[in-house]
Formats: sequence, structure tokens, C-alpha cells
Amino acid sequence: MASKSGRAVAELETEKSENGRELMLGLYQMLVKCRMCDEKARILFRQGKYAGNFYSGVGQEAAEVGAAYSLREDDWIAPSHRDWTANIIKGAPLKLCFAQLFGKATSPDRGKSTPAHMGYPPIHTITPASSIAGQLAVGTGVAFGLKRLGRDTVVVSFFGDGATSLGGFHEALNFAGVHRLPIIYVCQNNLWAESVPLRLQTALTDLSDRAKAYGFPGVSVDGNDVMAVYDAATKAIARARSGEGPTFIECKTYRWYGHSEIDPAKYRTKEEVEAWKKRDPLVLFEKVLRDKKFLTDELKDKIAKGITQEINEAVEFAEQSPYPDASELKDHIWAQE
Amino acid sequence: MARTLTMIEAITEAMAQEMERDERVFVMGEDIGLSGGVFKATAGLYDKFGEERVLDTPLAEGNIIASAVGASMVGLRPIAEIQFADFITPAMESIVQQASKIRYRSAGGYGCSLTVRICCGGGTGGGLYHSQENAAWFVHEPGLKVVMPSTPYDAKGLLLAAIRDPNPVLYFEHKKLYRTAKGDVPEGDYTVPIGKAETRRQGRDMTVVTYGYMTPLCLEAAEQMSKSGVEAEVIDLRTLSPLDRDTVLESVRRTNKCLIVHEDKRTLGIGGEISAIIAEEAFEDLDGPIVRITGPDVPAIPFAPPLEHAWMVNTEKIVAGMQKLAAY
Repeated sequence: MASKSGRAVAELETEKSENGRELMLGLYQMLVKCRMCDEKARILFRQGKYAGNFYSGVGQEAAEVGAAYSLREDDWIAPSHRDWTANIIKGAPLKLCFAQLFGKATSPDRGKSTPAHMGYPPIHTITPASSIAGQLAVGTGVAFGLKRLGRDTVVVSFFGDGATSLGGFHEALNFAGVHRLPIIYVCQNNLWAESVPLRLQTALTDLSDRAKAYGFPGVSVDGNDVMAVYDAATKAIARARSGEGPTFIECKTYRWYGHSEIDPAKYRTKEEVEAWKKRDPLVLFEKVLRDKKFLTDELKDKIAKGITQEINEAVEFAEQSPYPDASELKDHIWAQE
Repeated sequence: MARTLTMIEAITEAMAQEMERDERVFVMGEDIGLSGGVFKATAGLYDKFGEERVLDTPLAEGNIIASAVGASMVGLRPIAEIQFADFITPAMESIVQQASKIRYRSAGGYGCSLTVRICCGGGTGGGLYHSQENAAWFVHEPGLKVVMPSTPYDAKGLLLAAIRDPNPVLYFEHKKLYRTAKGDVPEGDYTVPIGKAETRRQGRDMTVVTYGYMTPLCLEAAEQMSKSGVEAEVIDLRTLSPLDRDTVLESVRRTNKCLIVHEDKRTLGIGGEISAIIAEEAFEDLDGPIVRITGPDVPAIPFAPPLEHAWMVNTEKIVAGMQKLAAY
């Protein structure tokens, strides 16, 4: 597969494998789950069910799912603000994910972190800071630690195009290159860093070119093609696991909505948004599955119904959960010796 | 058995012994490996423990701390060195947003057991960017412990305590004390508790609160005052966060006067906080104003000797402060 062209061959190796059907249906199910949970999170915010803000990743699910789907239980993810669903892919119970939105005491951080900034230690997703490069650097540090411990676990670091302009990004990737750290940098280039277009962010066309400066491979893939992302990610994960070092994967994609729920995103043209919506990662993948006769209307309905029920239960759990007591304000500042 | 060591020897010994004792401990920073550090704090460690555990890093302070934070999150015990306190600014993100908050924002799900050794302080002709003493910046951030020893004994004991502490500890070392502070240091293992001040001199007439390089100067000033019959009690804070309020307040309630001495700039320095604590908790016990002898509100220590001299707190300035307070 050519590194720059995304999906250069008609059929990827993963699609030809014997369990191709099972894998592709699994990916599809996860795409649908992420889409439905994300849309539900938006609705709940708009209904005033929780305060703060939410950073929707709708439109970018193929990048998120493709990159994280094949991670092992002991692998790590360093998510950013738009990666609430990374927790879902890694296996966090939906109840906890929705409790997170509501800031309830049943959420992993007991209401301390903000709705979209979710981490869940049992599955090794790092509770994100809002400082983008800081999160990326700490994820790199985790990879550094894992390598020192001699483990074969890897880290997936999620961030957007804007993050690549920060000094901390450079420092972290340089360090990862020097020490061949087991980390996969997954840049979801959605063309807009909040309201700043890519042309004002970088002179590069392909952000994966940045990897050259750090001495490890970079690939740019169609971020709306889940199989293309999955294929690039599994190769990068295998490479990291075997001690060969990091890979930078640029997923070219698009967020359908504003930077956050309070951003009407008037800086983008309707034509641009509509053009990208026509390349909906779910619809694109559904077509692949139908062509292969893997997906029927009946199965599609069944999947959606199952997820709807799970979401409803999770929302109910979140709504009924208590808020943390005010007495918890000063908990968790210090480790108990 | 104790021997006489310089402060820097005590620091090196603490690291070597702890690396021997605990294989999770490693050292990382700029020029600390092959060269043994700009001030030779890590001298000999590279030969003894190898590159794996004494790691020269790229020139990137932010990433030194961020990678140490990440490594600590998987159970390691890194000691990261910031070569000069003046260069800590690129690491503010890693220290203030990550190290101090990762435990809080994950409700204890992730921890950060990290020691950052930071060389600081003026009076050595280092100029604007090799002289700053900015420990107070970090005292403003709950989640970080901040210590600064003034004796070789404390240097070793506090460093061992810092490495074993499950919280991030910023360990400031005053470069002026590296080779001028000499004292008995036990060969074996011991710790000095973080959060406990030490009364270096007893006195009935006033309490002097200080730390780091200012401690020996305050003791010298107290001896001078003693000749005129004024006995100052000198408290070496040792830990700047969390502050040992009890030791300070107990002393002030006895002496009824307080002088605070620090090298750092005046406005919003540690002295401001200690003054407020005393005003809130021991107002009725005061017989005179709280007096501060501090560095000036000037951006940094200038290079020319007369200018640096004018900046630095010295024994004369401390004595003048003591005399002012003794008059009440």
C-alpha cells in the first residue's frame, strides 16, 4: 500500500482475512455505537441536562474507531477533548460515559473532569487535560514508561490538526523518535482548529510529512474510510509492539458540527459541510458491507435497537446518579501515604 | 556513621543510594549523564548505573517533565533535573497542568510520584537567566510539594523523602550552597519529613522565618544581633508547600515579632503568604509590624557585580531588618 494515497489498493489485507466478516461487522457496530452515543450526548446538552460543553466527533468516527479498535485491553489511549468515544471503543461501560457527561459521582473522576474530558483508569484511557499538547506529551511519557518496564503495550495518542502547531507536540514526537517509543500518533485532521482553517495552521498539505522530521514513518489516510484507518493502525500498532517505534497517522476527515455545542461554526461554508456529509463514514462503510452481503436491513435494525437500549439505560443511570457531595472538593489533591 | 559532606555530595549520594535500593528510580535531564551535570550533581551515576537509568534528554524542559509524569503514571519513580530554575518556564504546562492536576482530575485514578530537582539562586554572577529563585510560583499550585534544603543533612534526607513521596515534589537546590554548605551527613538511609520546618536557633525576641541560602545568612545576622542583646529565633522552613504553619505560629506567639527573609522577589513571594497567615492567626500576639527583607521587584538579577550585590539579600540587610523590628 502506498503510504500517501490512503486506499491505494482495491482490497485491504484485513478484508481478505478469514474473519473479515466478523471484523468488519464489529467495526460497523462500533461506528454506529459511537455515532449514536455522540448524537445522544449532543441532544442531552441541548436539553440542558448537563452544563459545561461537549465536543462532538460526529463525522470523524472512522478515524476514531479504525485507530483504536484493535487495541489490547492493556494498551493505552491518550484522548483529547473530541475523543469521549475513545472510552467507548476501549470498552468503558456506557453508564460511566454518560455519568461523565452529567458530572455525577458515579463517573470515573467523580465529577471532577469536564463532560468530554473522560478517562477511565481500568482500561487505560488517560483523563485529558484541555491543554492539547500537554495531553499528547503525557501520553508519550506513558509510552516511555511502558518501554522502560519492558512491556509490549502501546499507546494511541489522539489529537487534531491544531495540536500539531504547538511546541509540546514537537518536543514529544522528537523524544518518541529518539527512543523509538511504542506510540501511534493519530491526527484527526478535520481541516478546522476551532475556527482556524488549515491554511492558516500550516504550510503543509499532508500533516504526516511532519513525521520525517522525527525519524519515523508518517502516513496520510482517508479518515472517513474505517478500513483504511484500521489497516494503517494495525500496521502501526504491530510496529510499535515489536519495538520498532512510533508511527504518525494523519486521518483526513471532517467534523460535522461546531468546535463545541456552543459554536454554530459559521466560519465554514454550507457547501463544504454538505460535501463532507456526503462522505459520511457510516454510509460509506455500510455500502461496503452491503456489497459484500455482510449487512442486511434486519441486522442493521437489530444493531441499532441494541445500542438504543444500552444508551437509554446508561442515560437513566446517569440521571439517577447523585452528584458528588461538596465535601469531596478537597479529595484527591494528594496521595495518601 | 556521619561524615562531613558538601550539599552537592549529599545530593549525589541520596540519588545513588535510592537508585541502588529501588530499581524503579531513574534520573533524566540535560547534560546529567555523560558530563555528570553542569554542577556535577549526578557525577559518577552514569558510570555506575548506565544510560538506561541516567538519561541525557533532548533540550526540551517541557518534555523532560511530561515524560517523567507519564513514566510515573505507570509506576516508575523518575527524578527529572531542570538545569537552572530560569529554564523551568517551558515546563510550566507539564508541572502546573499535568503533574499537579492528574491525580485530581482523575479522582485518584492516576498518580504522579515524581521528583524534579531544580538548581536555583543568585549571588554567583550568573546574570539574568542563571540566577532566579522562583520556587514561589509553584507554591501557588496545590498538588505540588515544594522543598528547599539549607544543609547537607537536609539535602540528603529531603531528597530521599521526595523520591519516596507518592506526590510530585519540586526540590529546589541553591547553587550557592552546593559547595559552601558543609555538614555531617549519615552514611545510611534516613529521611527528613516534608512539611516540617526546623528551628535552627532559639531566641526570645523575634522570629525569623526563612529558607534555603538565606538560612545561613539569617543565622549570621542573629549572632551579630546577639552581641547587642537581641536574641532572634531562626526558623528554616525547608518545605515551602505545604507550609509548616504550626512551627511558625507557635514561635511568633512566643516572640511576638516576625521577620521574614527570602531571596525571591518581594511581591507575592512566600513572605506575603506567611505575613497573611500570621495576621489571620496571630494578630493579637504581635508587638510590632511584620517585616520583610526580600529581593527587589526587579525582573531578574542583573550581571554587573554592583547590580547583583544591590539585588541580593545579605547579612547587613537582614541585620537592618532585625534592628528595625527590635525597636518595637
